[in-house]
Amino acid sequence: MGRGPYEKSGLLAETSLPPMKHVHERFEIPYPFKDGKKQRELINDELVVSVKLWYVPFGEFDGYEVIFFEEEKKIDLKTEWIWR
Amino acid sequence: MKKVVKIGVSLFAMTALWASGAYCAGGPEPAAPAKAKTIKELVARYDSSRCMECHEEAHEQWDNSLHSHSILGTPRTAPTIITAIDKGLKLFPYSGVKEDKDITVESLMFCAKCHLPQLDEATDDVAREIVATIRGWQKASKEGNEDLADELEEKIASLNIGCMVCHNKMAIIHKWADGYAQPDTVYGSQDGDHDDEKFPKMAKAPALGESIFCGQCHGLGPNFELDEPSQCATAYGSYLYAYVAHGGSDSCQECHMHKSGLGHDMQAYNDETMIKMALDVKVEARSLFWRKNKEEGVIPKGIIKVDLYNKTGHVIPDG
Repeated sequence: MGRGPYEKSGLLAETSLPPMKHVHERFEIPYPFKDGKKQRELINDELVVSVKLWYVPFGEFDGYEVIFFEEEKKIDLKTEWIWR
Repeated sequence: MKKVVKIGVSLFAMTALWASGAYCAGGPEPAAPAKAKTIKELVARYDSSRCMECHEEAHEQWDNSLHSHSILGTPRTAPTIITAIDKGLKLFPYSGVKEDKDITVESLMFCAKCHLPQLDEATDDVAREIVATIRGWQKASKEGNEDLADELEEKIASLNIGCMVCHNKMAIIHKWADGYAQPDTVYGSQDGDHDDEKFPKMAKAPALGESIFCGQCHGLGPNFELDEPSQCATAYGSYLYAYVAHGGSDSCQECHMHKSGLGHDMQAYNDETMIKMALDVKVEARSLFWRKNKEEGVIPKGIIKVDLYNKTGHVIPDG
């Protein structure tokens, strides 16, 4: 997100959310795995993902940050999976 | 062609008549008040405590808002003013400010235009007193001198956007059409007598309930009318061009005062109610295998999709 009015000069990078518009963000998080000589195995078949939307007015987590949204999602890859 | 000109002139005349005097008890430009010579004098001139007796609820709400300590801020505004002086004014080759003693009201107006518009009714000594007070507060805080820090913080916090800044000084925007705010009148939504010695009259200000009123400070971007335009609040610009132009119709006051139920405690990102009103966020999560390439093979991944929808009338964040 853009940090306050400072980043709205048209000269600096600005990532604020426009009104009445949907903004989509996509995050890809690889499951941890280890590679053997001939196969790859999951170290963990569950991921707990915490999605947080912060407003950081001064660019740092200095006590002035404000959380706008927070949600936790659990996903898994329970199917037995070995890549050969 | 003559007909067109005549119609044009008569429409203009109607507009002018309609705009002048129909809604507002503005009047001729009053004589400029004597310049306040100290912070104390300036604060006394705009003291909101006289309003509290009758408007207790509104005063209490305002007291919790950033408007009630607009120079101190969160309290990051006051230190930011010092940064603007030290890293800006003093380094600009043509600002005329090399030391604090060179600071004038004009030097501070690129902050004070919005944070303390009444500073234009004070002498340059007051501008320097404000800077000295903030520096003293910072020093006392750093040295752990809490009593002095509290005393100076209180002094800085006494500089504010009080009742009569909005309901008098800034109340009338189109002064040629609607007249200038009169020194004996409090502007709001009603006409009539006002039970107060200093402000015995009430009058309607046509724009006080409209977004353009807030736009005077929460503005369009750089203050191009100043010799050194500062990039600051752009909320009203965003409201006009990215919200109203796309079909939005709520005003600043509707969301920040009425729908929020906060009244004169106009809040933004620091308030839970405003945060809830501001955004819809949806999260989808699933797991997938990605066949990347022959060399790296298949990668197991979590895919998180976040949909953010800004329900406000301006970009988020803004000021």
